[in-house]
Amino acid sequence: MSKNKNVPLDKRALELVRNNAVPIMFIIICAIFIPMAGFTPGYLINEIITRMGRNLFLVLCLLFPIMAGMGMNFAMTLGAMGAELAIILVADWQIWGIPGVVLAMILSIPFSAVLGLVCGAILNMAKGREMITGYILNFFMGSGIYMMIVLYIMGPIIPIAHSSIMLPRGYGIRNTVSLLNMRQCLDDLLAIRIQGVKIPVLTFILVGLFCLFIVWFRRTKLGQDMRAVGQDMEVARAAGIKVDRTRLISIMMSTVFAGFGMVIYLQNMGNLPTYTGHSQIGMFCIAALLIGGASVEKASIGNAFLGVILFHLMFIVAPNAGGFITGDSMVGEYFRVFMSYGIITIALIMYEAKKRMNKSKAGRELAQAQREGEGAQ
Amino acid sequence: MGTSNKAATLEKSRLQTMAAEYGVPRMIITGFLLLLLVMAPFVGVNLPMQITNIINRFSWNAVLVLAMVPMIHSGCGLNFGLPLGVISGLLGGTLSIQLGFTGSMSFVVAVLIATPFAVIFGLGYGWLLNKIKGGEMMIATYVGLSIISFMCMMWLLLPYNSPTMVYGLSANGLRPTISLDGFYNQALAKFLEIDFEKIAQARGISLGWLEYIKIPTGSLLMFALLAVLMWAFLHTKTGTAMTAVGSNPNFARAAGINVDRVRTLSVVMSTWLGAMGILIYQQGFGFIQLYTAPNNLTLPTVSAILIGGALVNKATIGNVIIGTILFQGMVTMTPTVMNAMVHMDMSEVIRSIVSNGMILYALTRKQEGTK
Amino acid sequence: MKSKRRIVFILLTVLLLVAISACMMVIGRGHTVYFDNKTLEGYEGQDYKAFERIVVSVKGEEVAKLGKRERGMSIWIGQNFKMVLEITENKGDEPVVKEISINLPYDMDGIVINLPAYLAGLPEEAWLSEFVPAVTEEPVEEDPTIGDEFGLDGDLTGDLVGDI
Repeated sequence: MSKNKNVPLDKRALELVRNNAVPIMFIIICAIFIPMAGFTPGYLINEIITRMGRNLFLVLCLLFPIMAGMGMNFAMTLGAMGAELAIILVADWQIWGIPGVVLAMILSIPFSAVLGLVCGAILNMAKGREMITGYILNFFMGSGIYMMIVLYIMGPIIPIAHSSIMLPRGYGIRNTVSLLNMRQCLDDLLAIRIQGVKIPVLTFILVGLFCLFIVWFRRTKLGQDMRAVGQDMEVARAAGIKVDRTRLISIMMSTVFAGFGMVIYLQNMGNLPTYTGHSQIGMFCIAALLIGGASVEKASIGNAFLGVILFHLMFIVAPNAGGFITGDSMVGEYFRVFMSYGIITIALIMYEAKKRMNKSKAGRELAQAQREGEGAQ
Repeated sequence: MGTSNKAATLEKSRLQTMAAEYGVPRMIITGFLLLLLVMAPFVGVNLPMQITNIINRFSWNAVLVLAMVPMIHSGCGLNFGLPLGVISGLLGGTLSIQLGFTGSMSFVVAVLIATPFAVIFGLGYGWLLNKIKGGEMMIATYVGLSIISFMCMMWLLLPYNSPTMVYGLSANGLRPTISLDGFYNQALAKFLEIDFEKIAQARGISLGWLEYIKIPTGSLLMFALLAVLMWAFLHTKTGTAMTAVGSNPNFARAAGINVDRVRTLSVVMSTWLGAMGILIYQQGFGFIQLYTAPNNLTLPTVSAILIGGALVNKATIGNVIIGTILFQGMVTMTPTVMNAMVHMDMSEVIRSIVSNGMILYALTRKQEGTK
Repeated sequence: MKSKRRIVFILLTVLLLVAISACMMVIGRGHTVYFDNKTLEGYEGQDYKAFERIVVSVKGEEVAKLGKRERGMSIWIGQNFKMVLEITENKGDEPVVKEISINLPYDMDGIVINLPAYLAGLPEEAWLSEFVPAVTEEPVEEDPTIGDEFGLDGDLTGDLVGDI
């Protein structure tokens, strides 16, 4: 062990590479793809900046459940659904511009909080299987409950005044709800243009505030509790921390902030795909965070930033690069989906394998300790 | 007084345990299906035709559901990695057509080609699942999604050129839906098929409502064969070892069972059954669906066996049969009855709530064994 | 004591949020304002002639140049609508610039303002009317419940491929 201090430089570099294997791999992929895709640097930078503003908030929401040791919050989509419900109502009430965005955010809180509460309670019943349960839960809510509300309850029960967002049959919401009057109002306010690149300063300020909040939150009593629960539930419980409550709060926070993130996302997109808007959000955010070098039990704000940049760079260039290589841009499109799934798969495998290794190591140590104890007697 | 009271409570508790064994959600679903069946004639739905539909759907899906059993038995949890088997089946089917086989022969060849793929995939997948015991379900889900999206690229890139399968004349990439007419469409279902309408015509008599009934005997026999084989296997030495591994791995290890090997075997079996399942599904359905379609089978299949009463670590052939009938019954009956009643098709939503709710219910129950 | 303070704190937060929402609902209500340069005939036995030309600017941006019998459009957030008109009454006249602010009714989405009538100082009901979009027969398109003949297809799609 004492050798650790003077490890040669090449070994330390190797260690660094091993610890950051995923981001490095993606940097290489992007480096190969970018020249193939043939986009101008200006276009790429513009796209990346837009997508950072659009997605960073959502990706950062994943940090709370990771803190509490609940893994990747696949049920983050619930927050997105809450935001979509709020946005539909705001669009129907014809509240436009910044006030519309603010109202949608506030209105999304009760929806997201209730969904988060349900989600947290269910995940507490499925300890050790949080991720798969969250994954199924988002189908249950997304293609079940949410669909029911939007397709059948909105119209007859929740009044919808404008036929422009209603299906011609008289109830239910259209496939797309136009948010034209809200489009990029947050991004455009205070926006700066540098050589054709639009920087949505206000959106970045919001993201920055959220980052500060996360940093501050980690130091609060609740944040410390969360981390303790994430380290070891039993130890935390013995120390007098209300484990279930802490876990519930972490999921609720993630869901509510995901709702805010979704409002930011939608105002940038400028329209709401009512039935598919939320379905990919969770998967893409998780993939982005993992590509940034996070693991299932440890993630930082830096991971989120790096991840969003690399993931979306890959996302933008993949179809064209795929077209360049195979002559069919669909291949590139499938390739980026494959990369997203693949990266999540690998991260999950690494996480589970490591968990199992630690477990067996602990078992061996315990057995050894017992043997030594017997020997002493 | 006292004794009768006691007897009453005893009776009550027996009822309660019976109800508990059957499970509240399953009871609700059964009740719902019965309600639909009872209501069907009153709202003008052709019940015999619906029953034919249910039988048909059962024959398509039962083997896929059966594919869940080995992995549940060996403690690998619900097989969210079903797409792996499905992909093997798709490779078998498309290669068989590509090689120029037609008619029922193409089905046999598809099975033959799918088998080595399923075994190889199963071995790899089993090896992987042994590395990550405890986290099987989540990883299985994403292995499934990864392979589906990987194959999406492959369907475009592999050098298939059979004109029935590729896009237009340019021969780059397979079509998303390939008709099986002239290949193995109804290959099994037509075998010994009982079609009362034809019988009635041949005899020149009227059989009334019976004429709507049509039974795909061959598919059902195929399922019966595989189910009996599975049942028999579970009673062999290896089969009991598998159950032992599933219920208590430590005990099994102590008893000298090679846990990893048994688990790998179960995964290979599941994958192969998945491949068979999709081929049987296709011969009934009449189309091969590629690209993202395999994704749509996983969750309904998982929830079917759970509706049948299986647990995350316990499943029987009976669960498979009951579950498939209940699930397919619900899928068939809900839209028709709902449409006839209120002219509003909520079936999609109801199905989604029921199937995903069932999986959630199973995941949140406290169980020993798989953790 | 601590829990009591917490409840008060939560209540205050909720109250604040509700207040902000209420505020947003008032100041964020969007309207589409249409302006007509059209002769108003027979209002209390009098005609109000259309102007030769009106240039409408909203928020310093020129939104419409209206000849006779033309209609312009602008969107406005809030109820306190302001615009600047540059009016040429008859051919060859010097344009007159007028700044105008109108209080829009809260519950109207589309509002039509008849400019000649308004500028003549008539009462509100003469120049303000609600814009009712023409009912267009739409083809029965989109139905998100994917027609599902075969049960298991069409479920959960959209999970796999798509843009973000």
